[in-house]
Amino acid sequence: MTWLSKSITSLGFLFLAHACYSAHEHSALHSTSTATLSSLTSHGPAASAVASLPIDISIETVVAIFTICLALVLGTPELRPIQWRVWAGKIEREGEKGFMNGDGEVEKDYVGNPFKVLESRPGFVDIRKQRKEFAEWVREGGDLATAPKS
Amino acid sequence: MASSLLHPPAHLAPSVALRLSQQAPYLLRTTPSAISPYSISSLWSSAESPELWTTYENLMLSCLRTGDEQSAHTCLERLTERFGAENERLMALRGLFQEAIAKDDDALKKVLKEYENILVKDPANMPVSKRRIALLRSLNRTSEAITALNKFLDASPTDAEAWSELADLYVTNGMFPQAIFALEEVLLVTPNAWNIHARLGEVLYMAASSETGTDKHLPESMRRFCRSIELCDDYLRGYYGLKLTTSKLLTTLSQSQVSRQSKGDTGLPPPDIKDIERLNELATAKLSEIVRRNTSGEAGWEGYEKPEIIAAQELLNRDAAPITR
Repeated sequence: MTWLSKSITSLGFLFLAHACYSAHEHSALHSTSTATLSSLTSHGPAASAVASLPIDISIETVVAIFTICLALVLGTPELRPIQWRVWAGKIEREGEKGFMNGDGEVEKDYVGNPFKVLESRPGFVDIRKQRKEFAEWVREGGDLATAPKS
Repeated sequence: MASSLLHPPAHLAPSVALRLSQQAPYLLRTTPSAISPYSISSLWSSAESPELWTTYENLMLSCLRTGDEQSAHTCLERLTERFGAENERLMALRGLFQEAIAKDDDALKKVLKEYENILVKDPANMPVSKRRIALLRSLNRTSEAITALNKFLDASPTDAEAWSELADLYVTNGMFPQAIFALEEVLLVTPNAWNIHARLGEVLYMAASSETGTDKHLPESMRRFCRSIELCDDYLRGYYGLKLTTSKLLTTLSQSQVSRQSKGDTGLPPPDIKDIERLNELATAKLSEIVRRNTSGEAGWEGYEKPEIIAAQELLNRDAAPITR
């Protein structure tokens, strides 16, 4: 999805740049062709140049802006749930996989279940017990293949 | 995965801890040891982020768990360099390191003595008093730990973590009414914590299974599990508990129809037997849906833990067996 939105965005910017360039060229040509000594104060011809801008340049500008808007909307990440139970259910059901951004990485602010610390309690961690358990796990020949990924 | 280094590693599986600590030498080499704000190099190096120091702390815990004391010590040194030795959190971390490398009980007692010295100087040092309680528990001096924890909670009654630890201590001692009270205190601080609601349901169920007070605890336990499901869609632990409690309620209520009528003094009326039946059916349906979808590897249903799924399958099988016979 992201490559689609990115390519459409760049296409839109290309159109926009082209429209700007055309408008600039048009006004420059227009002002030199109608330049007279009396209208060198630049206010008069500029106003008339804007007024007489060809319709195709205007259309191109509008189309370019709409294209860019569309592409940016397409590229937004999925909306997050705003209901507590839906959000919590998503965490339980999908785990980390539910919170990937477009590039396949887990989002920076993902914390999983924020209340898990009330059960793991890092402030009261019993490090010796953990070491013992880990040593036992190694002795039993724990292997990485069967372990759950996190 | 770098993201798991940003969370406290206590609940991780041993294999994940091993993987994290295996990354330690690499991480220690690549991450900066200190970022000084007034040097030329700060122009091109990345800005200091809080994640960096969280990473160090969690990396140290993982390394200690797997026995890589050298890397853990490097982490500790870098943290000390940044925050100073008088930082409260670092004092606790240093104590943790000494606990981990302690060879025998004498060394541990020395650490405990050190904690007490620190606390005499500064009684408001929360991290160190938490470590002291944890060490007391680790030395099997549970009653002392409970007393110390109660004193701690008198000083800071809004610490949900400490209330939760107290509840756990009470449960290991089999003091269920006290544990229930402590968990209710946790819920006063964090009323939306769905796992604590489920935990309270479990403790109530345990209390109901022990010899005291069956008819009050079991409906309450069912209500707690219902609340945890209300707070979290498709919560496996909640549905598992709901199924257990409703099945048990159905058997006890059908046995003692009379005693149910006599109760009217507790706040909530006893649940209707039809509602319990419907809840039981719902829990069975939901559990089998979760198990089916998870085992078939459906997208968006892969976040459950394997042991929990196996346990749910077991429960469903146990239930289905009498029907097929």
